[in-house]
Amino acid sequence: MRQLMNRFGKVLAIAVLAAAGLWPAAPSAQAQGKEIKELVIAIGVDADTLNPQEQTTTLIQNMCDLIYDDLFFQDPAGKLHPRLATKYEVSPDGLTYTLHLRKGVKFSDGTDFNADAVKLTFERALDPKLRVPLRFAIGMVKECVKIDDHTVALKLNYPFAPLGPTLSMTLVSPISPAAIQKYGDEVRQHPVGAGPYILKEWVKGDRLVFVRNENYYGEKPTVAQITWKIVPEDATREAMLRSGQVHVCYKPLPSNLAALKADSGITVEMPLDTRTIFMGLNCQKGVTVDKKIRQAFNYAVDKKAIVKKILFDTAQPMDGPVSPVVFGYQKMDQSYDYNPEKAKQLLKEANFDFSKTVAMRTPQGRYLFDKQVSEAVQAYLQAIGVKIELRTYDWPTYTAGLLKPLAETELEVFLLGWGPLILDADMGLYGQFTCEVNPPKGLGSAFYCDAEYDAIMKDSRKEQDPQKRLDLLKKASQKVWDDCPWIWLHVEKFVIAYSSKIKGMVVTPTEKFYPQYVTLN
Amino acid sequence: MLNYVIKRLFSMIPVLVGISILLFFMLRMLPGDPAQVLAGQMASPEEIETIRKQLGLDRPVYEQYLSYLGRLVRLDLGRSARTQNPVIEEIWARLPNTALLAVVAIGLACLFGIPAGVISAVRPYTWVDYAVTMGALFGISMPVFWLGLMLVVVFAVVLRWLPAGGTGSWQHVVLPSVTLASFVVAFIARMTRSTMLETLSLDYISTARSKGLKEEVVVIKHALKNALIPIVTVVGLQFGLLLGGAVLTETVFAWPGIGRLIVDSILARDYPVIQGTILIFGLLYILVNLAVDILYVVIDPRIRYE
Repeated sequence: MRQLMNRFGKVLAIAVLAAAGLWPAAPSAQAQGKEIKELVIAIGVDADTLNPQEQTTTLIQNMCDLIYDDLFFQDPAGKLHPRLATKYEVSPDGLTYTLHLRKGVKFSDGTDFNADAVKLTFERALDPKLRVPLRFAIGMVKECVKIDDHTVALKLNYPFAPLGPTLSMTLVSPISPAAIQKYGDEVRQHPVGAGPYILKEWVKGDRLVFVRNENYYGEKPTVAQITWKIVPEDATREAMLRSGQVHVCYKPLPSNLAALKADSGITVEMPLDTRTIFMGLNCQKGVTVDKKIRQAFNYAVDKKAIVKKILFDTAQPMDGPVSPVVFGYQKMDQSYDYNPEKAKQLLKEANFDFSKTVAMRTPQGRYLFDKQVSEAVQAYLQAIGVKIELRTYDWPTYTAGLLKPLAETELEVFLLGWGPLILDADMGLYGQFTCEVNPPKGLGSAFYCDAEYDAIMKDSRKEQDPQKRLDLLKKASQKVWDDCPWIWLHVEKFVIAYSSKIKGMVVTPTEKFYPQYVTLN
Repeated sequence: MLNYVIKRLFSMIPVLVGISILLFFMLRMLPGDPAQVLAGQMASPEEIETIRKQLGLDRPVYEQYLSYLGRLVRLDLGRSARTQNPVIEEIWARLPNTALLAVVAIGLACLFGIPAGVISAVRPYTWVDYAVTMGALFGISMPVFWLGLMLVVVFAVVLRWLPAGGTGSWQHVVLPSVTLASFVVAFIARMTRSTMLETLSLDYISTARSKGLKEEVVVIKHALKNALIPIVTVVGLQFGLLLGGAVLTETVFAWPGIGRLIVDSILARDYPVIQGTILIFGLLYILVNLAVDILYVVIDPRIRYE
């Protein structure tokens, strides 16, 4: 009991420490600067819905953050900052999270922000009748109980240590209950939140215009109006930035990054992302069942060359099973540096049948240079004598094949990306490698299933002590890294370019950026 | 004439029903599950099934079609699976942009293409003719995507005379319409040249010249007017195609038109939007063809529709 109380004390202390930090330092520091009347941001896609619970595209979630605000904000270093919730406490058994909500906050339509609003938000997010694509991220939440007007308790089905950062997800951004009452499902077109901005205009396929919420509870944004200009073509977005038509260019063309960086009028930021790109290797069917063959495939591919020659350095070779930016990452001692001779040796030891043709599948246009990366991997494997047949699919066709159960799956070697939405290794290590997520239940399409690994990961979810949890995640990482259910390719970088007159942009590794407190020099 | 138009308008109905059948069943033959695309990469099989039911995709295909046809009769194109907006709203938000671009592009193409073709035909096998032919070849061969980007680099980035993309003013229309027109102008110039050459060699032109008419009158009033029928046909066909949306041009110039909507919907397997936009496109194409047929009567009074 005492041990549990100590643990509880530590968790409480962490939560309170988090609560003590107010807004991320960069935005507040810039708030004294000159006001910007309009900031124009060129983006590639239009929003389909501005209901945060229906959204899966990071960019549109980013927009939702500005309209709704979040319960917490996870900064690029992974630290949680209070937003609409000021702090949380975890019960000793890890099954109840008590959230303290900010007082005196109103939604932009004048409705009070309170426990009822948060309860309704969770109820909708958990309602199986509603389309909530990321529901799995809060699947451990059984119910949200109102304690008082500004306190709610989240009751969990099982302990889930990374729930804190999960509460920073756009998925649980509170929506005005009055707006839900008024618009119903159409709230997706009429977003009402408690964030720093209000949707003023939405011209389909052309632009979205946000204006400052003058009743925002936080520090007044320096940018009065944000215009999101929809420019599907990368080169045109870049041209618009160069010609001064827009201030910010979201994801410019990687091949032009060198030129953009050389331009003194443009700032390019490219922090490491959470998304890992990998070649899944079926662990239960086909030629890749043998661990030695999977390791051989890893040695056969020159990941550094792929990053440099194909991706223009907009990625970094993986040196652990998760991105270095997440909690739980550890650089692995063993590396799979390019070594075709070792790969051939391992294939020989495994009695690899070189007469067999291995099926490789890849999407096209989903990830940066996905088809080209797959072609490079195909060439590397062919160089060690493995016959590879590569097939390319558009994304909808490709996803249909990912969730097929073992008996039906055709996947042997396949390219995929996985980007945790919070800076925690759980979504990667649990969400890809436990038996529980083997298709059709999940997207662990490599069919990696190991009882020992599962036990470590389950323990990590129960463990509230960060250091002990870190140790468990490292242990799991080492195991899966050695077993090679993937060819560990690379971690993407999130690239954003903007006028160098802009100062104070906050860019996060979850592919988000917060322009509300920028200043123009 | 009025009877003819009414008859043609009624004949549209079986054509549109035919389009709807072909489209509906061909879309269902495409690999990829719209419910799964909508549910997201990490949705459970139960969640995917729920969405499939909500979209009505769990019912037999013929039943889905009959229900779609029933709604179509009531002029209801359904709702977008992706945005849940009425399809007609999605189309209506973009159609005026596409129409504007198509009208300006076709206008520019006629303005430059027809005179170029006429001059070329009047001075065959001279440097003027070769220049026009080369220009036309250049226009047809040049990838629209490349030309668009080059125009952006020159006029938006280097000279800063025009915006690189977007909508909002007449300046925004210039680069995309010039890009689109470059292809069509070449077509029209080539067609005008060949039909004019043919017409100018006819006996009645020699008669007109021998009557002592001015060369301008012979060329414009006697030759061009009679050569117009095939030119109008080409212009009509090109205009119809442009109304269907010019995906590449719209993409390069961030022009919010119908072309991008179709592509985005196909990538998301958004059946209602794909069906709705293609159907509207079919309707517009038929109407443009009807307009061209009516124009024939204006150009050539000998043509009579019974």
